[in-house]
Amino acid sequence: MNMQQAIKMTAAETALVDAYGAQIGDLPGDGAVLSLRDTLVHELRTAGLPTRRIESWHYTDLRTLLRDVPAADPSAFADRVEAIVPGSSVLSVRNGQADLKSVPEGIKARSYTDSLVDGSAAAGLAILGADDAIGRINGGLVRGGLEIAIAEGAEFAAPIEIQVVQSHGQAHTRFPVSFGAGSKATVIERHVSTSAEASFVSTVSDVTLGEGADVIWIVVQQQGPADTHLGQIRFDLAKDAKLHIFVINAGGKLVRQELHGRASGEGADLTLRGINLLGGESHTDVTFTLTHAVPHTTSSEIIRNVIFDRARGVFQGKILVAKDAQKTDAKMACNTLLLSDEADMSAKPELEIFADDVQCGHGATVADIDHTQLFYMLARGIPEKKARAMLVNAFVAEIVEELEDDEALVEALEGVISAWLEKHA
Amino acid sequence: MLEIKNLHARIAEDGTEIIRGLDLTVKAGEVAAIMGPNGSGKSTLSYILSGREDYEVTEGDILYNGESILELDPSERAAKGIFLAFQYPVEIPGVATMQFLKVAMNEQRKYRGEDELTTPEFMRRVKEAAAELKIAPEMLRRPLNVGFSGGEKKRAEILQMALLEPKLCVLDETDSGLDIDALKVVADGVNALRSPDRAVVVITHYQRLLDYIVPDTVHVLYKGQIIKSGDKTLAHELEAKGYADIIEAAA
Amino acid sequence: MPAVQETIDQVRQIDVDQYKYGFETKIEMDKAPKGLNEDIIRLISSKKNEPEWMLEWRLQAYRRWLTMEEPSWARVRYPKIDFNDIHYYAAPKSMSGPKSLDEVDPELLKVYEKLGIPLREQEILAGVEKSKIAVDAVFDSVSVVTTFKEELKKAGVIFMSISEAMREHPDLVRKYLGTVVPQSDNFYATLNSAVFTDGSFVYVPKGVRCPMELSTYFRINEKNTGQFERTLIIADEGAYVSYLEGCTAPQRDENQLHAAVVELIALDDAEIKYSTVQNWYPGDKHGKGGVYNFVTKRGDCRGKNSKISWTQVETGSAITWKYPSCILRGDGSRGEFYSIAVSNGHQQVDSGTKMIHLGKNTSSRIISKGIAAGVSDNTYRGQVSAHRKAENARNFTQCDSLLIGDKCGAHTVPYIEAKNSTAQFEHEATTSKISEDQLFYCLQRGIPEEAAIALIVNGFVKEVIQELPMEFAVEAQKLIGISLEGSVG
Repeated sequence: MNMQQAIKMTAAETALVDAYGAQIGDLPGDGAVLSLRDTLVHELRTAGLPTRRIESWHYTDLRTLLRDVPAADPSAFADRVEAIVPGSSVLSVRNGQADLKSVPEGIKARSYTDSLVDGSAAAGLAILGADDAIGRINGGLVRGGLEIAIAEGAEFAAPIEIQVVQSHGQAHTRFPVSFGAGSKATVIERHVSTSAEASFVSTVSDVTLGEGADVIWIVVQQQGPADTHLGQIRFDLAKDAKLHIFVINAGGKLVRQELHGRASGEGADLTLRGINLLGGESHTDVTFTLTHAVPHTTSSEIIRNVIFDRARGVFQGKILVAKDAQKTDAKMACNTLLLSDEADMSAKPELEIFADDVQCGHGATVADIDHTQLFYMLARGIPEKKARAMLVNAFVAEIVEELEDDEALVEALEGVISAWLEKHA
Repeated sequence: MLEIKNLHARIAEDGTEIIRGLDLTVKAGEVAAIMGPNGSGKSTLSYILSGREDYEVTEGDILYNGESILELDPSERAAKGIFLAFQYPVEIPGVATMQFLKVAMNEQRKYRGEDELTTPEFMRRVKEAAAELKIAPEMLRRPLNVGFSGGEKKRAEILQMALLEPKLCVLDETDSGLDIDALKVVADGVNALRSPDRAVVVITHYQRLLDYIVPDTVHVLYKGQIIKSGDKTLAHELEAKGYADIIEAAA
Repeated sequence: MPAVQETIDQVRQIDVDQYKYGFETKIEMDKAPKGLNEDIIRLISSKKNEPEWMLEWRLQAYRRWLTMEEPSWARVRYPKIDFNDIHYYAAPKSMSGPKSLDEVDPELLKVYEKLGIPLREQEILAGVEKSKIAVDAVFDSVSVVTTFKEELKKAGVIFMSISEAMREHPDLVRKYLGTVVPQSDNFYATLNSAVFTDGSFVYVPKGVRCPMELSTYFRINEKNTGQFERTLIIADEGAYVSYLEGCTAPQRDENQLHAAVVELIALDDAEIKYSTVQNWYPGDKHGKGGVYNFVTKRGDCRGKNSKISWTQVETGSAITWKYPSCILRGDGSRGEFYSIAVSNGHQQVDSGTKMIHLGKNTSSRIISKGIAAGVSDNTYRGQVSAHRKAENARNFTQCDSLLIGDKCGAHTVPYIEAKNSTAQFEHEATTSKISEDQLFYCLQRGIPEEAAIALIVNGFVKEVIQELPMEFAVEAQKLIGISLEGSVG
């Protein structure tokens, strides 16, 4: 592949490769972990960051979009922030360092750094495929995170918040989380930046649900306006497991949130809800793939995008129904409110189906605010600005309300939305 | 209260002229019925009064309490007291009826320089008005008009009318899709709002509604013009003979 | 229509043999040697008595093609094509130029007769005098005859083979050729630009409504021959034309390559309706043989309020790779794409459309129905995009797939790109199987399973069938039934 080697590395590619070089000997892990890191960074050096020529990165040409990467700064500590839902158990990672001060009963948690050091993390570091740039960057540079095991049958009244707080520099974190059979929990994965200085964050959560586990996994991404966030959630659902993923992107300059999962046991059910609030010159990409691997599994995905200013939104969703995965029921929808003539949205909702007895569908819409609804509100004396704000809010609030069982959670998420809308709308 | 002078209006998109020199005066305290065959411009008139952008006024004027309202946007007209009860009330998923009512009432109060209602006061008013109109509290917690039956939607319109206390009420085909019981509830709601300082314009195709909301004046709209005006007996005449005779006589 | 009736009758006679057009005709052929190089291109150009600029155009395309790579993004798999193992020119020996019908080799006429395509005008006229269809018959590399030319000429419509048009109307051809699908557009279009041998040319002048349906019938007969036809249709201001395209090939063990380019141009207020019933040989039940159908079709709504509508019924070919598209350049223009793609056996289909909204107030509509049976793969791939200035762009897409059996695959890959806040795009897709309830109901009423499936499938595709001209609609329905034979049990 002489052609590839001839390509000049971009500033960002150089920065990432250099970051590895600079930290070598300091990054946790040797043996298998180290040799895997070497391979991943070598691939990054030779293949470069993905471009639009790679189908799964078609709308997010990372090589062009990622202009620079701030240098890693081990001293960039940030303080723990208040839990988003009062009363949550907070496990935090700050600048890659795990803080295990308040681990509630029923949870076993250890620093992921330890798993890297003792080599147990090696198997999980493998990338998902040649195009897995996030897995590659993260696997090469990951310093810490949390390894969490929820005991069989454990139930929690309050949410568990995994907090990744960053002031600037780089953070590369991993969260392998396993939920024991029959356990029930709400986890909030929260990414916050505490300064306007640029951060570069890569994070991979590896979520495994045992038989009959019932989990709500919430991602709240509120990074700063100069930040890059490359997130990946891998998930696997055993028999009768139920996972409700809720992703809210309300920050960042360049964001790619990937979700890749598999319904591996009969009766497994996945719900994905996403709210992407985009403004400024940001670029936000949510890419989702789900394999229905066995018969009798269900999934439902709804993504709502609100796009202002010169922002760009991307949604790619692929539902794959494997051969023999009969009786799959999968529905996916991506709805976008495009609120500025300079904004844009690209959506690619895919179905890839190899079993015949299935009910699968997807829908996608792109539109401005509904004029009939707007007129109705005006005719009731609500001024236009207010009416628009209410309609935008209603567009996303609908899917928050599905979490009505936990009022405090709904309130917290509505808070994130209204705070963002107040600032941008 | 309302004075429409030589009004000409067309659909903004394609320029089709719908209202062609319409004159109409409605005094405070008056209930005026506007009747006409399909396609005569009845709904268009209601949209123009409330300021819908899809229509352009090309000539003439609309005076409300002596002032032209053509330059006002729909929310300003509403805040000044013009209320349109929609023929097809719009569904707004994600906006709870209660929330909608509160925002609408308070925004109108703000426009008029009045204080916002306190939550208990707001709740009291809504409960009272809802009870009058036999609207169940559950309905108010649902998103606005979403999943409401035809009758529920119309009752919700009248509820809003009662709460917003407009000065000029325009009812666009409020009777369409209603059975007789629902019609009575709606008519009672409107009658309860009749007062010397309030005018009501009832737009309808049939005389039926006018048995319950008895008009002071009746106007026949045809091809964008009022071709005949009279008192309530005109409505009965129309019911008996149809529109053809009057149209012919006017021609 | 007698022609269609004939076809229907033939369809009825079919029982075991699924592909009824699989016969081969022994006709003496004039062939270029296998292989592709500049000399072959010069040979093609000289055989066709082309002007110098045309040869230059071809050579330019060929040189470009040498630098290009075959696309790999489509969901189709096939062994590497040896482009030097193909004859790029094959013509019946008796042909040395455009002929009147009387001079056409009777063997050739028999071929078309057998295919159900009437070439003798008097025969057509003897039939029900309801509507007439003018036919341009393309046999391997050349157009053998074009019917009703005189009558069309009276209306000012030019309908002839593109080779003929290059000689008789060089200015028109030169003005429009390659303006919708540029020479360098993609690997196969570039190859086509270098080696295309024939195809149809239509020009409908200002304000003229073409008095009859125009149609081209393509037939690949010769072994190891590629068919590279090029069709160019221009509807001038206010003109209207409806154009039908049909295709078949003999049953052969080796694969045949078909890489056509179709360009449509609609000027102000013009409308072009393009319908295809594609029934190239799909290969046998083991996946041996069949046509590789790699086609670039694109329409340019160049004028304001122009309209281009594609309707396709795809039942044939081993591999289909085609995306009839519309560039909605003129303000107020409209594009439509109605498609039925049936795949059975080892067929692979990757087909769909592109609706590129550039002008203001443009609208598009996509209705795609994919039916996969056997061990086939059926992919819908479609792009809808609104550019910055495409105010009020509207699109509605409905894309449904039906799976028959559990060894096939149905895939949907839409690309939805909006860069304008006034754009309104709506996309819906579903995948399901034939409802057990419907099937049982039919069976209970005494309809055998295969007939019941054909019935239900025809219901599934009805929205698209309705878009076809009457004559084609009946044929298309029958074809779908035949294509699905053997898909159950």
